Amino acid sequence: MAPSLHIKPGNNFWSGHFHAMASPCEVLIDTNDQALAERLACIAQNEAARIEKKFSRYRDDNIIYRINHSAGRPLEVDAETAALLDYAEHCYRISNGMFDITSGVLRRVWQFDGGDNVPQPAQVAAVQELLGWHRVDWQRPLLTLPEGFEIDLGGICKEYAVDRSAMLLAAQTDVSFLINYGGDLYASKPRRSSQGWIIGVERPGQSTRHADINQPSAAAGNFELCRGGVATSGDARRFLLKDGIRYSHILNPLTGWPVRNAPRSVTVVANTCTEAGILSTLAMLQGTEAEAFLAGQNVQHWVLRD
Amino acid sequence: MQLNNKSKPVRHSLTLATATLLGSVSAPGYGAASNDWEIDSSVLYYAEDGRVSAIEPVVRARKTIGDDEFLTFRLVVDSLTGSSANGAIATTAAQTFTKPSGDATYTTAANTTPLDPSFHDTRVAVNGEWEKPLQDNLKGIFGANLSKEYDYTSLGASATLAWDFNSRNTTFTTGLSLNLDTVKPVGGIPDGLTAMPTTTTFTKASVGDSDNKTVVDVLLGITQVIGRKTLMQFNYTYGQDDGYLTDPYKILSVVTDAGTATLAATPYLYEQRPDSRVRNAFYWKTVHQFEQDVVNFSYRYYWDDWGITSHTFDARYRYELGGGHYLMPHARYYLQDKADFYHYKLVDGDIPRYASADYRLGDLSTTTLGLKYGVELSENSEFSVRAEIMKQQSRGSGATFPDVDAMILQANYSFLF
Repeated sequence: MAPSLHIKPGNNFWSGHFHAMASPCEVLIDTNDQALAERLACIAQNEAARIEKKFSRYRDDNIIYRINHSAGRPLEVDAETAALLDYAEHCYRISNGMFDITSGVLRRVWQFDGGDNVPQPAQVAAVQELLGWHRVDWQRPLLTLPEGFEIDLGGICKEYAVDRSAMLLAAQTDVSFLINYGGDLYASKPRRSSQGWIIGVERPGQSTRHADINQPSAAAGNFELCRGGVATSGDARRFLLKDGIRYSHILNPLTGWPVRNAPRSVTVVANTCTEAGILSTLAMLQGTEAEAFLAGQNVQHWVLRD
Repeated sequence: MQLNNKSKPVRHSLTLATATLLGSVSAPGYGAASNDWEIDSSVLYYAEDGRVSAIEPVVRARKTIGDDEFLTFRLVVDSLTGSSANGAIATTAAQTFTKPSGDATYTTAANTTPLDPSFHDTRVAVNGEWEKPLQDNLKGIFGANLSKEYDYTSLGASATLAWDFNSRNTTFTTGLSLNLDTVKPVGGIPDGLTAMPTTTTFTKASVGDSDNKTVVDVLLGITQVIGRKTLMQFNYTYGQDDGYLTDPYKILSVVTDAGTATLAATPYLYEQRPDSRVRNAFYWKTVHQFEQDVVNFSYRYYWDDWGITSHTFDARYRYELGGGHYLMPHARYYLQDKADFYHYKLVDGDIPRYASADYRLGDLSTTTLGLKYGVELSENSEFSVRAEIMKQQSRGSGATFPDVDAMILQANYSFLF
């Protein structure tokens, strides 16, 4: 067991806690078998670490680094990266270009630190030249990014890690478990009590991205998650305020500018955490239409606005 | 974003896409994985006009066993039949030779290049290779091979290291391989430059049942990305062979005088090559991609201490037809200067220390033209066929061995699972 993994007993369950992908992570196992809980938590931790190492844009020794430094040359990617690129491409199409993994370069001109440093239109236009999935040549397994382009899988990685960890645990055990990586969740099945896992959905402005399990009083509301994934988009601290206009951190890749009237946060429940994450992101990008969009998707959801 | 009209289909296709994403990949070491096997299978048919023909099925399987780590196994079966030139020259009368076993003879008609018809052999070769990242930007490829036919066994191992520099724009490669071969010819190893009996009454002088040779090869290479669409490779290889390097089945004709084709009293001598060979080659290749098509051009310059030098020019153009189909025409031109000890025939009384009449060591040129057609049958499989014609011609003035024409047909099927 890695020293960074802490196993704690809970109310009729065991939990494993570790840190990964810049978030507090926990795995709750509905069992009284401590050894089993340790083993499963370890598997989840390893998988989260593997995915972080492989897809983090802060490292210089992984496929993302090689892709972002390929200087316009074609690069052959492995099966897992190819699957994620196929998925990102699918999301790009169904969102008509609003979900775009090449749009990370916009952070060069937009820094959402609560200040008033809104970029000039010319700056935004210049960085717009360096994004656009339609300009990427993706023919599995070869990816060719134009020079100056970058991809960032941060928008799907954490939810993907949740689902991948869940798959690995489900292959090892029949017991019910809940995976929570910084607020992105997955529950495998109802607990022994036939109840689901009680999830607290909190208001933005309180502690960020950590669902308080089994402490309903601190949350805006609870719900019972028997099976499926939960993901949340939005964080109130990231914005710019200038001349009385609040610019949310949800950027529209097609214009380079923030989406107008984006909600403070959107939480979605879906079959998997990855799907929930995409739906919550797409909803945020809808701005005023977030609620209408989610209403049409037949998923349990919460939209919080100022 | 106009999602409102398509709201329901978004969720539907998203659910399916997510299921595909999560179902398609498995981390290494955890349960069944998809697409970590790559299988290549092919059958090649080679036929020389009136001489040797061969069928060669090949199967290669490559498995991903870790991050950038692969194991490859390859099995080749070569089945050859037909006749091969024995090194003797055509004369105005019929000629009789003994087969390698010494138990039988074969006769060649007048004015016909003698061919030994007992060329019938099956060779099986297996090799395995392990490719593994050793450190950041450094990978190693380690291989072993074994090849067996009824009169020849070869065992070898190799190690190659490849370093990436310069944001992987430059790769430096170095490799070493070692092979140990044993030849156990039918009828034993003939004593070089002694007589080949022309009847079964006499047996050839033999120096033993079998003999060995060792082959060492060293490779140094650089691959450099030149531009967005261009790549070049430069290799230098050094090789050294030691041991029994002679072909035990080949002979030379001995004539009475330089100007005639009248055979001497001892008309045929077994060939004898030196027992060491130092080889060098310099190789340059360029690959360039156009919009979709790719051109591949290479040049190789070879020289050794047997006096052979050669130039090889090879060009291929991959022409994308669209829809996953492609055509690849191929042209190759090979030019060789003979070995110092190559002789078309020997003159009685003037027998050198080393001599061979194997036309493949002589002054020659080979021209090859070919066409390959390939198609992507699915995301995970590809099929291709190719046909090539080769013409090998002896060069130089004076009497030479006749041209050899050959053709190659090959079908290939590759898939991932």
